[in-house]
Amino acid sequence: MAVNGLEPERFAQIVADRVKEDRDPLSSLCLACTDVLGVTGAGLMLISGDKSLGCIGVSDDIAAAVEEVEYTLGEGPCIAAYNDKIPVFDPDLNDDGERWPEFRQGALAAGVVAAFGFPLLVDRVCIGALNLYRDRAGSLTERQVGDALVAADVASRTVLTWQADAPPGMVAWQLEAVPNHRVEVHQAAGRISVQAAVSVDDALVLLRAYAFSRSRPISDVARDVAEGRLRLD
Amino acid sequence: MARERELLTTFIEFADTLIDEYDVVEFLHRLAERCVELVDASEAGIMLADRDGELRYVASSSERMRLIELFELQHEQGPCLDAFRDGVAVHSPLDTDADTRWPRFAPHARDVGFESVSALPMRLRNEVIGALNLFSSSPHLLTDDDRQVVQALADIATIGILQERTLSDVRVVASQLEVALESRVVIEQAKGIVAERNSVSIDTAFTLLRSYSRAHNALLSQTAHDIIEGTLAASSLTNTTKSPPT
Repeated sequence: MAVNGLEPERFAQIVADRVKEDRDPLSSLCLACTDVLGVTGAGLMLISGDKSLGCIGVSDDIAAAVEEVEYTLGEGPCIAAYNDKIPVFDPDLNDDGERWPEFRQGALAAGVVAAFGFPLLVDRVCIGALNLYRDRAGSLTERQVGDALVAADVASRTVLTWQADAPPGMVAWQLEAVPNHRVEVHQAAGRISVQAAVSVDDALVLLRAYAFSRSRPISDVARDVAEGRLRLD
Repeated sequence: MARERELLTTFIEFADTLIDEYDVVEFLHRLAERCVELVDASEAGIMLADRDGELRYVASSSERMRLIELFELQHEQGPCLDAFRDGVAVHSPLDTDADTRWPRFAPHARDVGFESVSALPMRLRNEVIGALNLFSSSPHLLTDDDRQVVQALADIATIGILQERTLSDVRVVASQLEVALESRVVIEQAKGIVAERNSVSIDTAFTLLRSYSRAHNALLSQTAHDIIEGTLAASSLTNTTKSPPT
């Protein structure tokens, strides 16, 4: 890409170096982002239609917490990047007026002060977003933006290459190496749809609202519902 | 100057189609028509190789051209096939030398009214994906300028086709990913519904879904979908299983 910027091959090498530390490929990719992009955390989210399908990789626990917030709320720079198919920046989460107030609250609570979302695009097909976080306010430099676009491109192509090799109808195994708690969110939605006599989509909204109102991660609440310890009716 | 402007317009027009969604066959028809407008040729045609590497007729500027392209393919000889196989441009009058080279094609082409032919391989680096063919009712071959123009058009066409193939691959894979992820969501939701309705654990619900699917020769994702849509009652799942393991 840019003459003096990050080359895809170099980025891929940095990812590979992280993989050698015995990490899964997607977390390695997120860590590689923190190695070269001047950010303190990164997360990868797959999104389809208007549903966040889940976070498939994070660099660390803080990024995991912020991804959780975004997933729970369904709002934030990453989701905006997916929807608009362009990068969306929030260089100071303390500063902003109207955009994603609840996301900001949750992200700041996790220690993140700036967030940048890059759509995962291959040509014009968008499959999700790469989310970059910083523990201090400040914009990305032009060079960092350019490098982040390269990283997002490598991430998108990697995900699609893995999926291309997957058996028909199945999610590629490399994309399954994520914490399994997402399944509980959907199981919980199933239970709630019966309990509250609503559609599964509305059940998910109820679950989110409950989790947010009690400041609990959605996956925790979901586990309680799925395992029958909590009813939302 | 007029010609330069025409060329520029053509290149821009085609560059635009490379960016937007477009239909390959439609694109190639327009390319064939433009060739005839831009250079001294009567007709133009395009052939592309299929997955087995066999050349197939795709587009032409006229019916007469289509028939002669088909003739060439049928008899497995002609300038287009040569250009495709050898990856090298062919420029030839349809004279006695041509009769020696293409004993069935050349006389037939003259009968139809053509006097000379040019065929350019459509290639990108080492890959030859087809041939762009120009026929003329005049015995004069294309000038050097014209040859460059058509080669450029052939190159644009090649890039456009390869790009479109990549795009459709990407779209196919991306939508496969989407479908696979969504069907997982659906299966998990169905587990929740079945568990709640039948007052069983999530694991037992999964067993029920699987047993039902097997017994009815259905895909698990379809059964799950039916549960969510309400077209399959969760209670039906307990009737078909033979003492599920707890």
